[in-house]
Formats: sequence, C-alpha cells, structure tokens
Amino acid sequence: MNPKNNIIVGIIIALLFVTSYNIGANPIEFVKGLPNLAIVAEEMTQVEPKLFGTAFLSMFETIQMAFIGTIVGVAISLPLSMFAARNLNSKYVYAPVRAILAAIRTFPSILWAILFVIMVGLGPFAGVLAIIMYTIGFVAKLQYEVIETIDSDPMDAVSSIGVSKWQLIRYVVLPESAPHLLSQMLYMFDYNVRQTSILGLVGAGGIGFYIINYIKFFEYGKAAVFMLVVLVTVLIIDWASVKIRDKYIIKSQHGMKISVK
Amino acid sequence: MELLQMTRPSSFSLISTKKIIQMNNVYTSYDSKNYALKGISISIDRGTNYAIVGQSGSGKSTLLKLMNGMMIPSKGTIKIDYQTPNMKNKQFKLMMHKIGYIPQSLGLIKNITVLENILIGALPRLGKIQSLLKMFPEEEVIEAKKILKQVGLEGKENRKAYMLSGGEKRRVAIARAFMQKPTILLADEIVSELDHITAREIMALIASAQKTMNLTAIMVHHDIQLALEYANRVAVIKDGEKILEIGVEGDKIVDFQTGNLTTEEIMEMYSNESKK
Repeated sequence: MNPKNNIIVGIIIALLFVTSYNIGANPIEFVKGLPNLAIVAEEMTQVEPKLFGTAFLSMFETIQMAFIGTIVGVAISLPLSMFAARNLNSKYVYAPVRAILAAIRTFPSILWAILFVIMVGLGPFAGVLAIIMYTIGFVAKLQYEVIETIDSDPMDAVSSIGVSKWQLIRYVVLPESAPHLLSQMLYMFDYNVRQTSILGLVGAGGIGFYIINYIKFFEYGKAAVFMLVVLVTVLIIDWASVKIRDKYIIKSQHGMKISVK
Repeated sequence: MELLQMTRPSSFSLISTKKIIQMNNVYTSYDSKNYALKGISISIDRGTNYAIVGQSGSGKSTLLKLMNGMMIPSKGTIKIDYQTPNMKNKQFKLMMHKIGYIPQSLGLIKNITVLENILIGALPRLGKIQSLLKMFPEEEVIEAKKILKQVGLEGKENRKAYMLSGGEKRRVAIARAFMQKPTILLADEIVSELDHITAREIMALIASAQKTMNLTAIMVHHDIQLALEYANRVAVIKDGEKILEIGVEGDKIVDFQTGNLTTEEIMEMYSNESKK
C-alpha cells in the first residue's frame, strides 16, 4: 500500500472514532445490553398461536395495500419517466420533471404516510397513498435511467423511417425497456410489502399497527407471531420473484436462445 | 414539375428523373477537427444497385447516414430527389417513409415478434390511435405476411427476434425495409459476418426484389468481389475519399472515375489496399 492510501485509511479510522464519540456509540454498552436482548428473545419464543388468524388477515391487508400502491405507482411513473428521459425530450421538458421526481423521493414513505393520515384520516387508504408516492419517485427514476441506456441502434433504425415520437416510444422504447420494468415492479412490490409493514407505526393500516402496539405494551410473544408472518411472506414473495425473473426477464435480456416446438 | 411536387408531396417517386441521389463535394466531421468524409461526389441513377466498398473507418456508414438525413454534411450539397436530407425537416420526413435503412447492427427490437418487427415498416401509414393500440389494418398484415414469405421466413412470424439466427435477423431487417414500400434501400454491411452461402442468398434476395420493386439499392460492403458480383457501380472509399468508381461491363471492370485504369490495374490497386 502506498503512503497516500495509508493516510486516507488513517483519516477514515480517526473519523470513525470522532463520529462514534459524538453520537455516543459505545461498544461496551452494546455488550452490557446483550442480556436484555436475551430476555426479549426468550419472551418472543412464547408465541401465542391463537393470534395467527389475525396476523394472516392483517398481512393480507398489507399485501393488498402494497399491490395497489405498486400497480398505481408504476402506472403513474411510466409516463413521467418518458418525459424525464434525456434521449427523448428537450432540457425544458426533462429538467422540471426530474426536479419534481427528486422532490417526491426526498420524503421517506413514513413521512408521506403521516401527511396522508392528516389528509384522509387513519387507515389503510393513507398507507396506500404513501406507497403510491414512494413508488412513483423511485420507479420513474429507475425507468428513465433504463430508457436512457436503451440500445441506440433500434432507436436509430426506427427513427430513420420517419415515425413520430409517440410511435417511437410505443414500438421501441416500451418493448425494449419492458423486461426492466417488470423487474422493477417485482422489486418494488417486494419492497412495498416490507414498507407497508411499518406504516402501521403512524396509523396508516397494515400489519405494522399490531407489531408496534404489542411491542409498546411489552407483549413480545404476540409481536413475534406477526413478525414471523411478515418473514414468511417476504420469503415467499422473494422466491416467487426469482421464478418470474428467470422466466420472463433473464432470457430476453441476454438474448438466450430457447428451443421452440 | 413544381406543381406536381406541391400537390402530391408524398408521391415523389412518380417524378421520373434519372438521378435519384446527387452528392457534390461533401465533407463531414464528427469532431470539427478531422473530416470523416473529404470532398465526396457521387451521382446515382434511379434503379441502380450501387455499392460502397472500403476498409473499416473509411467513412462508408457515414455516407449512408447522410443519404437518409440522419447526419448533415459540414460542407457540400446532397440532394435526394431534389430535396436536401435532414431528418428534422418535415418535408424530408415524408421522404424518409420511403427510404429503407438497415444499419449494420440491424436495429431489430429483440423482445417483439418477427411479424411485429416487420410491421414497423408500415407505421408511417398508420393513424395515431391505430398505432397507439397496435391496430394494424388487415391489408397491412397480409402485406407483411407476403413479404415474410418473400424473404424466406414463412412460419416464423411469431418468433421473438432474439431467437433468430444471424441470417434470419438480416431477413427480418430487409422485410421491415420492404414493408415501407421503399424507393431507396440503404444497407450497411448487411452480409458481413455471414457465411459465404447465406451472404449470397441475402444478396440474391435483395437483387431480385430490387428489380421487381424498381428500387435504388445502395449497399455498403467490405468485400469488393461480392460488390462487383451484384452491383452496377462500385465506389471505393479510403480515408474519407472516393478513390475509385468502377462497374462491370461484359467481362471487364471499367473505371468510371478517370476512365484510365484497366481491370488488372484496378484489381491490383484494390488488393494492395487490402494488404495495408
């Protein structure tokens, strides 16, 4: 390692100590606190099986919220991404659209949830609206980045026919970016299910409402039931998205040859 | 003729004049310092099979992009049927509908089917709603299937483009261009990287369609032998300059640029160039 790198590593380690001191991060406290974790863990093993019914129902509500949020969010973000792509628009179009998208992304979904709880009241609807906003901000960004990296050859070939911009979007941009869009939808749904699980914290519906309340009243055994259901659901969604990805996305992206009957 | 052009702007192919493409002393540059093309003059008759041959980086592809208005020359004039090519010009855009352009990479859309790729050639004839909903009129679908058969892809209309072999992909790109009902076909190294037999099949396909459709074909090639076999005229480009313009008359290769070179001299000159 050259001396310059040694200095950089030294500075990073020094900064680590300074910032840890500033925020009061203390490894000794962490070790001292481990027995507390053991208490919680032990209480969590005392699950109350009769709560599984409620847990599954609230998980179902959470999945429905995530589903609506993802689909509506993606549907809104798709046209926005077309306007935000630099290779399809002039600066006067893409710059303001990008600024709006960046502003939407500034808020985490929990802040959107608080805002919508104020607007439409407690309950899952506020959560759905929060998920929609969050999805718009992220999927539109991911999607315009994909559009900007679309192979320019089909774009050039089809533009050379003298087609309109809308025809170019419909016949080149959409099909070329479709596998990415599907991949983003799956990712976003997976992410939204986990997000929705914590939106209950601010009263925006879903399974998080139960988790936060049981924890508040130190009923870890009951909270564990709900957390277990979240874990299993996320694992199932993860497994399913791998399957869908393999079937529809990987092959088309790599131009893999498949035998046809 | 003025009147005819004004009243029927899209039917320029009816205006029968001999020269369809005229380039006069054309220069282009990508970076304002070095010229990619230097003083090229080319004149192409309607219905000709014209070939442009040269090494990689000689400026052949740039020539094609100038002809369909995707690039604008830095100096000199280009006229395609008396219009200056520029893809941003609305009048010329109408003409682009009838110029089939096949880039070297073919530019197929890999996630859609063969038939859908071919139908893209019909887009200029489609209304806004029809194209938004992908509602192609029945006669266009029939036409596309006819062309599919013509290029030898019968029965493969529902395959996705990425499943096809190199030769088949080229046939799809040709079919898409034919679907435009073109008057000019520009093809950039369409048979390079193909085996000998497939390359000749593709060339024969274009040659026969060229006669039946009264097409002016301008094709960029790597291989001068292949070019001479199919083209009426061959322009040889080197470092952005046209160093030769030759053609086959009977069993002789004729020098149209200066009129001085013999067949042997031409072949020797080209083989020396290839060695470099």
